[in-house]
Amino acid sequence: MAEKYDVVVVGAGNAGLSAAVSCAAQGKKTLLIEKHNLPGGVASSFKRGRFEFDPSVHEICDYGADNDKGHVRLIMEKNGVKIDWITVPDCYRASSAYSDGTPMDVTIPCGREAYIAAVESYVPGSRESLEKFFDLIEEIRAAKVYMFDGTPNDSKYMQKHFPNTLRTCGYDALTVMKALKMPQKAIDIVGVYWPYLGVPLDEVNFFHFGNMIDMYVTRRAVIPHHTSHEISMTFMNRFYELGGEAWFNCRAEEFLFDGDRVCGVRTNLGDVACKQVLASINPNIIYANMMPKHLVPEREKKLAAARRGKFSTKFCMIYFALNKTCEELGLTDYCVFFAGSADSRREYNNIKSIDNDYNILISYNTLIPDFSPEGTCVISFTKLFSSAEDWGKIAPEDYYRVKDRMIAKCIDDLQKKLGIDITPYIEEVEVATPMTFARYLGTPDGTPYGFEVSEWDGVLARMMDIEADFNVKGLRHIGAGSFFGDGYSSTWINGDMTAGLACAELDKGGEQ
Amino acid sequence: MALNVKVGLIGLLDMLKFANLGKKREKIIAKAPAEEITADYPVNNFAKTLHPDFQTLVVDKIIDRPAACAKTFVFRRADGKPAPYFRAGQYVSLKFPIGKSFVSRPYSISSSPKEALEGTIAVTVKRNPSGFAADWLLDHLKEGDRLFGSEGLGSFYYEKYRDAPHVVALAGGSGITPFYSMACAIRDGIEDFRLTILFGNRTADSILFRDEFDAIAAATDKVKVVHVLSDEEREGYEHGFLTAELIRKYAGDEPYSVFVSGPGPMFRFVNGELPKLGLEKKYIRKENPAVTKSVWEEPGYPADRKDKVFRLTVRQGPNETVCDCSANEPILVAIERAGIRAPSRCRSGECGWCRSRVVSGEVFIPAETDGRRWADKRCGEIHPCASFALSDLTIVVPGEYIK
Repeated sequence: MAEKYDVVVVGAGNAGLSAAVSCAAQGKKTLLIEKHNLPGGVASSFKRGRFEFDPSVHEICDYGADNDKGHVRLIMEKNGVKIDWITVPDCYRASSAYSDGTPMDVTIPCGREAYIAAVESYVPGSRESLEKFFDLIEEIRAAKVYMFDGTPNDSKYMQKHFPNTLRTCGYDALTVMKALKMPQKAIDIVGVYWPYLGVPLDEVNFFHFGNMIDMYVTRRAVIPHHTSHEISMTFMNRFYELGGEAWFNCRAEEFLFDGDRVCGVRTNLGDVACKQVLASINPNIIYANMMPKHLVPEREKKLAAARRGKFSTKFCMIYFALNKTCEELGLTDYCVFFAGSADSRREYNNIKSIDNDYNILISYNTLIPDFSPEGTCVISFTKLFSSAEDWGKIAPEDYYRVKDRMIAKCIDDLQKKLGIDITPYIEEVEVATPMTFARYLGTPDGTPYGFEVSEWDGVLARMMDIEADFNVKGLRHIGAGSFFGDGYSSTWINGDMTAGLACAELDKGGEQ
Repeated sequence: MALNVKVGLIGLLDMLKFANLGKKREKIIAKAPAEEITADYPVNNFAKTLHPDFQTLVVDKIIDRPAACAKTFVFRRADGKPAPYFRAGQYVSLKFPIGKSFVSRPYSISSSPKEALEGTIAVTVKRNPSGFAADWLLDHLKEGDRLFGSEGLGSFYYEKYRDAPHVVALAGGSGITPFYSMACAIRDGIEDFRLTILFGNRTADSILFRDEFDAIAAATDKVKVVHVLSDEEREGYEHGFLTAELIRKYAGDEPYSVFVSGPGPMFRFVNGELPKLGLEKKYIRKENPAVTKSVWEEPGYPADRKDKVFRLTVRQGPNETVCDCSANEPILVAIERAGIRAPSRCRSGECGWCRSRVVSGEVFIPAETDGRRWADKRCGEIHPCASFALSDLTIVVPGEYIK
């Protein structure tokens, strides 16, 4: 181990890229290693024929406008990562059924006023509760800034300035929306985004849910012009500019210890010595397979036992390239949610099964006309699973038939829900199953997410408890399996934040 | 009116609930048993079986096909496990040392996916006047020998929601192998589509898999093979080349897809014929065409670089190797000649497995086989299998899992 790095970042997904750029920007000698031959994890792209597909992105939240910069934007600006974003005008169209069984087909725009007006038009009498809801969310935003700015929190100050936050954010989202006297149908519409957090409204903490609505609705979402690979390569280039070094097709096999402190990483390209490791590997995998058993902290064993291996949403993505334009086909919305019901608890139970009817349609060219060659368009479907059990039972010889079943389901959904038949126009079709995600990400059951943000293990609870989750000296967890929740924005923020903690420890001489 | 939201009857209890979120979490964790953590997931195990880092393959059997100047190599995994299941039409990337070089070659799998479940996969290699690796395999590989192989790769396979129910396959010489696998899969009930193969050869006695195809065509009416001889006129055979007219003759009136697999000259001929059929792009699928063997003839190539030899610096993890790199050959060839174990698979610019970063220097990338992603083109990433040096170069290649 001739060369010694200040920091080794394991995994070049969203969290790893953000963490690596952040460490390099803070002048640390940083090595980024990635087991695949591409950066990004799911924030990548793949090519079929004359098309380039985005494997995962729907909408990126918390970027914000020039006069109201979101957390993601602040990080990117701080670290010099410049991307040419496209703003998403609408939140979504939802073709589903209200909790009372009546059909739902709503199109909901972004921006507080437009959003409230739209929901009021579908559910008259919901305006007052929605105004309160957004006022509350605004307070939560300010509370979030205060709570997580790195300085100690004063409870008196919080009681004075954020009383509603303190009174509501101990509860789940459904309870709070009911307390706001929001009509059930309005809750159904507001709750459409629930799968992005992975747990139903009656379980997800209101702080987390409200914050998500704020990020998507108030601040609006953005998407990259040329797939997520453009984002990841922009991070990579910035990292190289800052003097960072990256090794691809380089897998961390185990962590090396000096006493009880991590001092390096064993990889297929040799051992690497370092002072700090930021690992975007699910913590359970690290503790089970990548370090000596006797060094695994009791507390981490208990944490894993308490979580009972409940990993968040698994995905199957179905990608189509069609030789007609969105206009010709009648695809007008960027994002459409198809669900059997807006009852999130019921749907959460439904999507345990491989043959569930939950589906999300993204039509890229509606916002990015040149996303694919002239005269064509690219669409994708996202099927969600709250359990991987059915997927784990598939025999190899049936695997491709299951993929075909997924394709058929999407064609059928589009036909039945929007009356659009794409069968004659399919030039390319590809399916990424949980197995595909497992192959490229190595995460438990292939989830691009982390542990379920369950009632007791929500992001707010984890944040209040943050240093308690880092119990191996010299090693910090980043990514979807870490404390800050899942998704592009959360993991960029989490990578940057954790890099800050590691760099601060280095600056204090914390490598001994 | 100031906002005043309370969830419970007494707002103070709500506040306590909030303040205790972290403590409550620690309490629940503290109560849980300190069991050993395990991480064993069926979905991940499936992914590893289907997509191993690599497999060590043992030559189980060699079928000599002297008339076609070819051999079929049947492989079994050294660890006794079944070969990963694949889709008929896919290829494997074989890796093996030749002298100091460590080379890879993509070969279409020429066996049924059913046989993979039973433990074997096969490739069929034809002698090739300019073929360095093919001839080496034919002359040196014996039963019991070992080499490295990938799982089934590539997207040259039948997909019922994309392709027409009738496929007219255009095959030249050893380009028949993916179609042979598809025909086997149809026979075995794994695939379900009509396959009409127009198989171009010079003469009747050099036809690969001739008896095997006869047997398949006898077993299923979904597979039909039409032999097309360029250098010979014979009763019962078509004569000439794979023309648009011939395709129309056998395609019939129903919608059809055209699949193409064969050597460079055949591709060039067929590329001239296909537009005459007026098919939508989606109905034409081509096996990856090979990278040009005469890059200096490409439009835009700076003529003064031809025949030059440049200095190539290859970084891989902590290691650095310096070697010669001929302007006339893809950069990957120089990497292999230097004995560096670096990833590569399709060798046609398509799959991106060899994707590497140019730190300094200039390269030439023929447009036809430039399969790079949009952002990679802007960021100095290249596919060395389809890129040529125009100057001294320093590149960073990915690691290799084969040990």
